[in-house]
Amino acid sequence: MAARVTVVGSYPKPPHEGGEFALRRTLHALDRGDASIVDVRAAQDDLVRGVIAEQVEAGVELVTDGQARWDDPQTRFAEGLEGFGTTGLLRYFDTNTYFRQPVVKAPVARRGHIVLDEFLFARDHSAVPVKQTLIGPSTLAALSVDEQYGDRGALVSDLAVALNEEARDLAEAGCEVIAFDEPALARIPGSPPGDLGVLGDVADRLTEGVGATTVLQTFFGDVAEHGPAFFDLPFDGFGVDLVAGPGNLEAIQGFPGDRILQAGIVDARNTRLEDPEALAREIERLAAVVDPERLWVSPSAGLEYLPREAAQRKCALLADAARRFRGGR
Amino acid sequence: MSDALRTTQVGSLPKPDYLLRARSELARGQITREALRELERRATREWVEFQNEIGIDVVVDGEQYRGDMVAFFAEELEGFSRGGLVRSYGNRYYRKPIITGPIRRTHPITVEWWGYARSLTDRPVKGMLTGPYTIRDWSFDEHYDTRRDAVLALAEVIRDEAVALQEAGAEYIQIDEPAVSTRMDELDLAIEALGVVTEPLTVHTVTHICYGDFHNAYPRMLDLPVDQIDLELTNSRFDLLDRFAEHPFTKSIGLGVVDVHSHRIETVDEVVKAIERTLEVIPPDRVFVDPDCGLKTRSVEEAKDKLRVVVEGARRVRERLS
Repeated sequence: MAARVTVVGSYPKPPHEGGEFALRRTLHALDRGDASIVDVRAAQDDLVRGVIAEQVEAGVELVTDGQARWDDPQTRFAEGLEGFGTTGLLRYFDTNTYFRQPVVKAPVARRGHIVLDEFLFARDHSAVPVKQTLIGPSTLAALSVDEQYGDRGALVSDLAVALNEEARDLAEAGCEVIAFDEPALARIPGSPPGDLGVLGDVADRLTEGVGATTVLQTFFGDVAEHGPAFFDLPFDGFGVDLVAGPGNLEAIQGFPGDRILQAGIVDARNTRLEDPEALAREIERLAAVVDPERLWVSPSAGLEYLPREAAQRKCALLADAARRFRGGR
Repeated sequence: MSDALRTTQVGSLPKPDYLLRARSELARGQITREALRELERRATREWVEFQNEIGIDVVVDGEQYRGDMVAFFAEELEGFSRGGLVRSYGNRYYRKPIITGPIRRTHPITVEWWGYARSLTDRPVKGMLTGPYTIRDWSFDEHYDTRRDAVLALAEVIRDEAVALQEAGAEYIQIDEPAVSTRMDELDLAIEALGVVTEPLTVHTVTHICYGDFHNAYPRMLDLPVDQIDLELTNSRFDLLDRFAEHPFTKSIGLGVVDVHSHRIETVDEVVKAIERTLEVIPPDRVFVDPDCGLKTRSVEEAKDKLRVVVEGARRVRERLS
């Protein structure tokens, strides 16, 4: 499919304007002891069904469950893995979103499935393929306090082993696309750019034996300074943010012909709506760099930074642009 | 009032249950705006009285009439539309405003509330504003071509509000810029914008910044054109104090000594220890003791307990100093 329409990962949890925010209410009730974890799960199930249906309706062809069951990726995976505690609040890159910073207190290992059940539920409730997001090992390491290893490489290596186990299980269960979110590799305003070498050393270990399409997903900034080495990493596809990372347009010239490029072309961080015709022309330009069958288009980042209405409009806009592009060929 | 270890607050205080209920009732159209306002005045009065009672040196009005530090200003300024809910942390969400036209200040925003609080105490009441960089950073922008254009437009309207507070008699004016630590490559823009706000001010000016990469921001943050910088040192485990030993902190500091995101009430000893550590690198007349951040996310009782600990810790150290 030329210019396959997909998303990056997260999706807004609040309801459409005027709707009832059942998940928030249930979580508050859980805090007060007035609801059980079963109630929370039911609210999450409803939300997942809703965000998937909404993406499909807007024209997204490869959806996610919106990370509707997570507070944020760091918390989800730090809780899901052995070896982590948490400390103070930290801002998530240059957003106005915060998380409790994970602390590595003991050797990191997987104690069991982390997101497999979430994937299975989403797949069973989607009319189109579902992509599963995993946090990337170098981003989880970069956002954590390390009190155990004293060596970034050793920590990332153990994280890669644990995440590889999860990815293999997902693939065996039928997950066709697995994205490793690695925003820490991009040059994001206010943060030092990630060290590609650390991921490079473990990338084979991270992806080996995973019988699914693997995507190295970046956002919030550009990856240009890593040079061509970035696209040599052993992933089937690469996600780049062409809105917040203007240098990425240069970086993808010479994109390898055997990989998938997921181009983030719709601004996931502002409500201003792009012109679908201009987006279609942008897709046309990207199609000159990469075979359109290997070109995926997406918002620039997870959509949870937008209100629900705006997120849905951005998805529809993207689908509209892809249709115009296909129609124009 | 001695100038050593003055106690104060970052700004917001929790809303009592009757006010929270009234806010939802207003949202459902069950009560009038005037009825809500009466309860906001009652809550303000109770908080000022509490601060009088425990002996806070520089009082705040507690922002009982504000929902959110950015949305409140967006609602009062021309050029903003109300946005939808966006997640900030865990299960917390805020309405992120949208800039849809040129930003203008058509009326005073905080002066009346400041005056009301001032009428209830003999102590100075701090004027509380949100800074231009933060208002832009925490809004969507469908109008201005660049971030810079929006930030500088906001700087002018916040300056006008600050001047109005000064003319009303405010001796302390705080311009909160929690977003400043987000992007170090825009620190110059934030400094320029804050300069626009503070340029005509002759009173004691403060800014509060939080949850960011302070290590990269220091010592450049000392270029922020204010007399005092308020920092959440408890959440960041007082790491910055070591940096102050290497490169002196040349302004007054607002020293956050209690965590605003934990239910646990710190002990007076912990507060004493934090103040004493700080006094090794900053003299007492330049140290203002306060919580890490606004206390609005705590319960009323937790906030009161934390404030009592702040005041008691500062009092004990003051005694030793004198």
